[in-house]
Amino acid sequence: MPVTALRATSTAQNGVGAFILQCKRLDFHYCDKWGSSRGMNTFLRSPLIASFAKAHPQIVIHISPRPNAHPIIRGSYINGREKVICVRNLEKEQILQKVELLRDANGEKVKRVKGGRVVGSVNEGVRGVWDPFHTKEYRGIG
Amino acid sequence: MKGLRLLRWSGSVLSLRTRPCCFIHKYQYQYPAQPLGLLRLQSSAAAPLRTVSEPEDDKEPRDSTDYTLLPSPPPSRPPSSARLSALHARLVLPTRLPLEILARCLVDPSADTNSNFNNASLSLLGSDLLGYYTSEAIICRYPRLPTEVMKAAMAAYCGPKTLAAITREWGVEVAAAPGREVDPGFLQCIRQEAGNASVNGTGTQVKELQTAADGVSTRPDAESPTRGWRRGASSKTLYGDRFGDEIQRTETDYAERPELRKEEAQRKAKRGVTLEQASTGFVGALMGAMYIHAGKKAARNFFKAHVLSRHLDVSKLFEFRQPTRDLSKLCAREGFESPVARIESETGRKSRTPVFVVGVFAGKDKLGEGSGSSLDEARFRAAVGALKGWYLYSPLEVRVPSEATGGRPWEPVLVDGGEVVV
Repeated sequence: MPVTALRATSTAQNGVGAFILQCKRLDFHYCDKWGSSRGMNTFLRSPLIASFAKAHPQIVIHISPRPNAHPIIRGSYINGREKVICVRNLEKEQILQKVELLRDANGEKVKRVKGGRVVGSVNEGVRGVWDPFHTKEYRGIG
Repeated sequence: MKGLRLLRWSGSVLSLRTRPCCFIHKYQYQYPAQPLGLLRLQSSAAAPLRTVSEPEDDKEPRDSTDYTLLPSPPPSRPPSSARLSALHARLVLPTRLPLEILARCLVDPSADTNSNFNNASLSLLGSDLLGYYTSEAIICRYPRLPTEVMKAAMAAYCGPKTLAAITREWGVEVAAAPGREVDPGFLQCIRQEAGNASVNGTGTQVKELQTAADGVSTRPDAESPTRGWRRGASSKTLYGDRFGDEIQRTETDYAERPELRKEEAQRKAKRGVTLEQASTGFVGALMGAMYIHAGKKAARNFFKAHVLSRHLDVSKLFEFRQPTRDLSKLCAREGFESPVARIESETGRKSRTPVFVVGVFAGKDKLGEGSGSSLDEARFRAAVGALKGWYLYSPLEVRVPSEATGGRPWEPVLVDGGEVVV
């Protein structure tokens, strides 16, 4: 048998072909009594939420009461994680900012990328890795 | 290549299904031995209502809105499912593919054995399309790829494991158990019991009970235990599926003995399916639905966007046993001079960490180069590099056969002889 093959799986590159928004669901919780929900209640009655929902049909939006508690927004992501933001005492514009933050998140834990500007690539470098055995002809120049 | 005139034969698939009268199905599910759906191939006529002789002692009132016995969500449910609409939007599916069809793609045959409501037919079409598009993309891009590597690349792009990953990355969730009340946005299937689950609280595990009676291999030497281990490339091509895996039964077997298919469906419904199998069915069905509802171009674009755009390093799929022997055979076949390995540079031959750089040459042409801590290692790596350089040749402009409809006339692509036979 001259050559055999190893089994592998192709890896996704979100955005190279299709782009899948990672946020798949947003839960809005409000309270009718507490003052901290005032901005949230205004937001839910304003056209902001309707226009957001219309612009993002790929996100399921649930609105439900959460009595006697601060208002929260919970984002569910494709990787199975959730991200929750408490929006107590925020105005509706500020809440929209938080909603956009949840929309743009990918659900991963926020991690610090060490090493400053790190650009990762799955492809090998075109020039190859430097090695000392192929530099003989250049030795005299530098 | 002429386009198929789908509307002439796929009327039964394009039209949305409704349960004609649910008491028919009620009896069907009570008595599963009754014949399941009629075979209506290439017909645009609607399915005729089957009249089932009603048992005489049955005094239950007929209620056509009684969906309690349906195994999967009724077709009236999908428009109200937010989860399903979100999935439709997330995949940017065209409006020509209605929500009801997307919902049907999510119903596995193990959940609903009625072939008018599950995704079996769509997935049969879609998996063939997936195989066709993937194989033409690989063969045209790497015309010299060895058969085994080509099959491995096929499996990497559209094998069950990859399709399961795609399903997960699309955000499709699996229903805990299928049923009429389940949101149609869930993938509906009956899950197979885990192999290490205990049987009725005894110490026996499920996998210990399973006998080899799952299916019959199509290999001629399957019964012979002494020869069953041989799995050569040609054997895989003849008796395997598109990934080189062994298939239990072929379509010819089903055509000769149609009852086998029913047995298979009933066995699956009884034992359930794995998540991988259900995901494979779903992605295939969606591909088939795209082809039927939105057309060939949309199906191709969908395939490109979701399957072909994934990253795969084909050069990592090779596994050579004797690369130097393969290389000399290859040079003999192609009419090159026989390859010679020469040291290009070295350091620390007597030290603990020597490095040798060896190149293989055919005459004055350098075929490959490799470095290693021993002369043999460097020589093998050089031969592997040379072989990969040959096998991974890729033409600059690639046009696959399925793109050759209309416009520019089709120019044949290069498909090389493949690997050397040693």
